[in-house]
Amino acid sequence: MAEITYKDKSFEVDEDGFLLKFDDWCPEWMEFVKESEGITDITADHQKILDFLQDYYKKNGIAPMVRILSKNTGYKLKEVYELFPSGPGKGACKMAGLPKPTGCV
Amino acid sequence: MIESKDLKITDVSTVDGQMVSIDIDTLPKLPIIDEKPFPWKPFTEEQKANTACILDDVCVLNIPMPKTHEEEEELVNKFLTGMRKLFKKENNWTFLPMLETSMDTCVQCNSCSEACHLYECSGQHEMYRPNYRSEIFRRIYKQYVKKEPLAKWRYGDMDLNWKTVARLAELSYRCNLCRRCAQVCPIGVDNGLLARELRKLFSQEMGIYPPELHQKGTMNQLKVGSSTGMTPNVVQDNVSFIDEDYSEITGVGIETPFDKEGADIMLIHNAGEIMAWPENIAAFSLIFNEAGLSWTLSSDACAYDGVNYGVFYDDAQTARLALAHMQAAKKLGVKKIVIGECGHAHKALTVIADRVIPYEYQVPRESCYVTLRDIVMSGKLKLDPSRNNFPVTLHDPCNIVRLMGIVEPQREILRKIAPMFREMPHHGVDNFCCGGGSGFAIMTRNNIEAWRGNISGRKKFQQICAAFADCMGPETKKYICAPCSNCKGQIREILEHNDMYNKHSFAYAGLVELIVNCMENVKPGFIHWECDEEE
Repeated sequence: MAEITYKDKSFEVDEDGFLLKFDDWCPEWMEFVKESEGITDITADHQKILDFLQDYYKKNGIAPMVRILSKNTGYKLKEVYELFPSGPGKGACKMAGLPKPTGCV
Repeated sequence: MIESKDLKITDVSTVDGQMVSIDIDTLPKLPIIDEKPFPWKPFTEEQKANTACILDDVCVLNIPMPKTHEEEEELVNKFLTGMRKLFKKENNWTFLPMLETSMDTCVQCNSCSEACHLYECSGQHEMYRPNYRSEIFRRIYKQYVKKEPLAKWRYGDMDLNWKTVARLAELSYRCNLCRRCAQVCPIGVDNGLLARELRKLFSQEMGIYPPELHQKGTMNQLKVGSSTGMTPNVVQDNVSFIDEDYSEITGVGIETPFDKEGADIMLIHNAGEIMAWPENIAAFSLIFNEAGLSWTLSSDACAYDGVNYGVFYDDAQTARLALAHMQAAKKLGVKKIVIGECGHAHKALTVIADRVIPYEYQVPRESCYVTLRDIVMSGKLKLDPSRNNFPVTLHDPCNIVRLMGIVEPQREILRKIAPMFREMPHHGVDNFCCGGGSGFAIMTRNNIEAWRGNISGRKKFQQICAAFADCMGPETKKYICAPCSNCKGQIREILEHNDMYNKHSFAYAGLVELIVNCMENVKPGFIHWECDEEE
């Protein structure tokens, strides 16, 4: 467990850098992950994926299956990787403030 | 820090700070393949001040550093109390006879060392002799629990202080519990069992466990229904999504039954498959339906997830989950439970459940390897093996193959459907662990990921490459059949890290995917290679 301070906001994260509390999510968190992920700009494509992840998580308490993400947003897995170099889990879910996936996944 | 050649058993109780470090640059190189090492991330000053990261380059348990003499004593006393309970049949109703055998009969021949992939792949580091941990455990037992006269002189002295306890806890997590060493022991000493009994003591008596196994694992499963966090509603939504998605992909209408009372079979998947490898779920449904089986999944909490991380660290949690699995099957009135492609679920629900669940609560259980063999051999599926015209090798999950002795059914299937099937150099009950065994495949923090890459997973990586030595390179597509979720997770990481998908055209998945790939009524190309363009 560690604390990250970025632009006057502080965040509690787990050892893999995921937010511990989804409620702590704010635009500054997105900015922070953007920098560490090496993403230049948050485009409408990024936003569409982040919005879907957050909506799904609020409803179901868990991240969606990758294929559900793809079907609902229209981005193929390869395109998700182009947008989020660390992939849907370590990149997109982390930026959206979702916790690290659990179980044998 | 102490060099391997100088390391003594008593160092665990005397040395200050990190005891040893494995220099990854000096590890023996693997033949055939140029691998990319995983650099260790040094512990931060904050970590060193607050957690007992005092064994090696890895820290699994994050035991808080005792700040006062009282806290140090508390750690030792709790451990001793737990240790005494471990050797009473009222408290250790599961494994006491095997534990005592392993404590009393070792003759120090160290045959176990040669059998251990961790010992070999750590450059034969002294700390990784399976007996290093066991001997510490034994000396404490003889001196402080059994109180044998002259134990100190007969077996060697062992000071029991907080460092001994903290290091022993970490040492119990420097083992994959693959039990290859137990198999070669001429007397039947089981170092895997000893490591697991230690983990149990730390969990049940001291509340010390990896969060991935406990809070996010068994507790999560008992609370919401699955270690993945899927509730009964989410799991049904996901499976119906998979049905629809894969009906389109395969051209065969797939329907996965839930909660069908009176079905012959209740199938339990590892729920991680649903989240991460949905093609496995689809393939099972497709095969079972095509074979005309009477079967169902359960949507009862816990029963749609065959995961039982309790077998890695805690008897009570193991029993709770195994009972939930049995109850769901009783409720549906099925004739038997079939366990999907998950090694530790096999162990939990068969061998261990036999010991922890009273007979009247039990439902017969069968490995999916056997069910699938019967289906494939029955001729009910129309198969075209020429669709599997690529080299295939088979990984043997330790819990299914070495522990349960299920060796041939999966091979009968492969000999029938995979014309280019070849064995790994060591296979069957002589297999090596994937490197993610006993819960490690789902842990990444504090250099655990690097540990799996540098040490625990390298033997398997070497075996895989050796099996394909005649066809390495990108030209030939290759398939690693690894019918276990945990093993797949570990193999995925090694392949990704070393860019094996592109450089050598590897794919990995289970047994069912390979069966579906050659079913005549399924659209060709069910198995997906990363090196192919995304569809």
